[in-house]
Amino acid sequence: MPNGQSALATPTMERAPAAGQAAGAVPDREGPARQGNVQPMLEVIDAVHAYGDVVALDNVTVTAAPGEFLTILGESGSGKTTLLRLISGLEKPYKIGALRLNGVDVSEVPAFSRNCTTVFQNYALFPHMTVGANVEYGLRVRGVPPDERRQRAQDALKLVRLADKYDRRIHQLSGGERQRVALARALVPRPAILLLDEPLGALDEKLRVDMQVELMEIHKSLGMTFVYITHSQEEALTMSDRIILMRKGRIEQAGTPHEIFDRPVSRFVAGFMGVENLMEATLVGLDGDDALVEVDGQRMAGAWSGRTRPAVGDKVVVGMRAERLHIADRPPQGPGLNVLPGRLDSAIYKGKYLDRTVLTEVGPIKVRLWDSSSSTAEQGFVWWKKADCMVMSA
Amino acid sequence: MIGTSDLPTLALIDERQLADSSRFWRRVSRWKGWPTTAKWLGFFAIAMIYVPLVWLAVMSISQSPLSGIPYPLTTANYAALAADSRWIPPLQVSLVMSTLVAIVCMVIATMVGRSITRMRRPGGVLLLTLLPLFVPGLTMGAALFIFLRTMLGLKMGYWSIFLAQLVWALPFALLLVLVIASRFDLRLLEAAEDLGATPWRRFWDIEMPILRPGVFGAGVFGFLLSFNELLRSLFLRGVETTMPIYNWAMAASQQSQVPIIFSLATIILVVTLPVMGVFFWFLFVKLDRS
Repeated sequence: MPNGQSALATPTMERAPAAGQAAGAVPDREGPARQGNVQPMLEVIDAVHAYGDVVALDNVTVTAAPGEFLTILGESGSGKTTLLRLISGLEKPYKIGALRLNGVDVSEVPAFSRNCTTVFQNYALFPHMTVGANVEYGLRVRGVPPDERRQRAQDALKLVRLADKYDRRIHQLSGGERQRVALARALVPRPAILLLDEPLGALDEKLRVDMQVELMEIHKSLGMTFVYITHSQEEALTMSDRIILMRKGRIEQAGTPHEIFDRPVSRFVAGFMGVENLMEATLVGLDGDDALVEVDGQRMAGAWSGRTRPAVGDKVVVGMRAERLHIADRPPQGPGLNVLPGRLDSAIYKGKYLDRTVLTEVGPIKVRLWDSSSSTAEQGFVWWKKADCMVMSA
Repeated sequence: MIGTSDLPTLALIDERQLADSSRFWRRVSRWKGWPTTAKWLGFFAIAMIYVPLVWLAVMSISQSPLSGIPYPLTTANYAALAADSRWIPPLQVSLVMSTLVAIVCMVIATMVGRSITRMRRPGGVLLLTLLPLFVPGLTMGAALFIFLRTMLGLKMGYWSIFLAQLVWALPFALLLVLVIASRFDLRLLEAAEDLGATPWRRFWDIEMPILRPGVFGAGVFGFLLSFNELLRSLFLRGVETTMPIYNWAMAASQQSQVPIIFSLATIILVVTLPVMGVFFWFLFVKLDRS
């Protein structure tokens, strides 16, 4: 990491005012996700909000531990941006149980008094100011003397690798540079929580991937609590300690990237996380997490990951990821394998891999082949492991 | 049909297949003379503005300006103007009055313009505030006079001139602020609030610098409109005199004063134009760069 981080890397910023900051105070990175007795940095309890008749948040409760990278994932209209605006104070909730930052109830505190800052999706940089003045603004309104202001702004710009752009005008910057100025501007006041509202949405693919890595490094080096909003499951999986998946103003599932990716609770979560093959099924048996289901007369063994435990005979959903499926010319033998005969249909060439559709008795199944020479026969078998067969709530 | 095998493959549009009217307009729009016509019309408009002004300046140094012949040249008119001091008080009144109108215009236009851009449906309010632009000066002057003098029984004076000029200048000022304010991105204020800026600071740090061209423009137009205002002031002057009233009275009275009106107008022109020029340059070029 660049060494400009010392002035920024002071955890629990608001509690210890800036008086002669100990340079290089190393933030405590002992597992932020471990909640235990640690005072949560953010608590949103029972938030309700609506725009006219449209319910944006329906009794949502979210907490974040100090230093956690929390991602709120959802499609547009799921209420994720509303949630962020409630936390920052730019939106006043219709009703809220409590909104606490580091234990202090701020539900009645105006946005400009809350110690959290936002990286906006459109950056919202001040066009009439230089890069330096933009980054310093949060310190200027706090009455920090000019020398210290400049020093801290330069440190922050160094952190986002824009050290030489201090005197530039905003319109002289590229999209990626603006994004990093917005990040520096939000970091410089040392907020208790940094809110990021789809900050990478406007960048092109390559830049987005680079910025993901940069954001993770900055998060790691500062030990700050990040609340990150995105609609991209890929961003969420890459960066987060924990993901909250929202749908229509409610939390659909919350958990680590692993849990959300491998153990979706519902068809919606599975679909959102890119599970290609999803089928309605009837539960035949459930022993622990071992589920036995029936799809169009075909029995499949899988692992239960749904919400409330269903009874035998209930409708459930079974899902398989295309990359966990295999194709073979003859049926493979072994315990805990699901095998379906089928006919190979169309193929889509994707460069690194090949997406093939297999027509089976339960319908078309998408299979991702990394080795394009694996099978060429017309008739064949598609097979997958029990552990790769997710059974969840409908 | 689109995408069928008989998809036409001609390189050019087949004009013979077009309707007559459409062919006609295609020919008209293809005429090469349009840019030249536009250029000459532009020259003509500029000439119509500046030739009379230059003529006025020339006449101010001619011995008998009303004859229309410049020669013989003389500075007598300016000497007469310097000897005469009756025009100085009206000029002072006008300068002070216009400055006040300009300042009040800037403040009101900024406040009203900001609120209009924040309204969900600004149409009705916008129409009401801009409609005075189309009320004839005589009508407005008479209406104000009847309202203030006859109905409220107030004594006319500087204050009523000020009021009439403000009513006249404000819609223009508002228009100038609105042009800038309607393009202002309110999300910038949210960003500032998020960074810890109080409402007052948000206004002065973010909104005001961006609206500044509009606000200063409102001031400039307020000043100029007030400085030139005659129709409404005539009704509401009471016994007071402003520069336009004085000029008008002098020019209309068929006295030997006419020549000094030429010199006076020229002096005002020579002072005003460069000042405005520098002002606009400062506003739009200098401030924009810094």
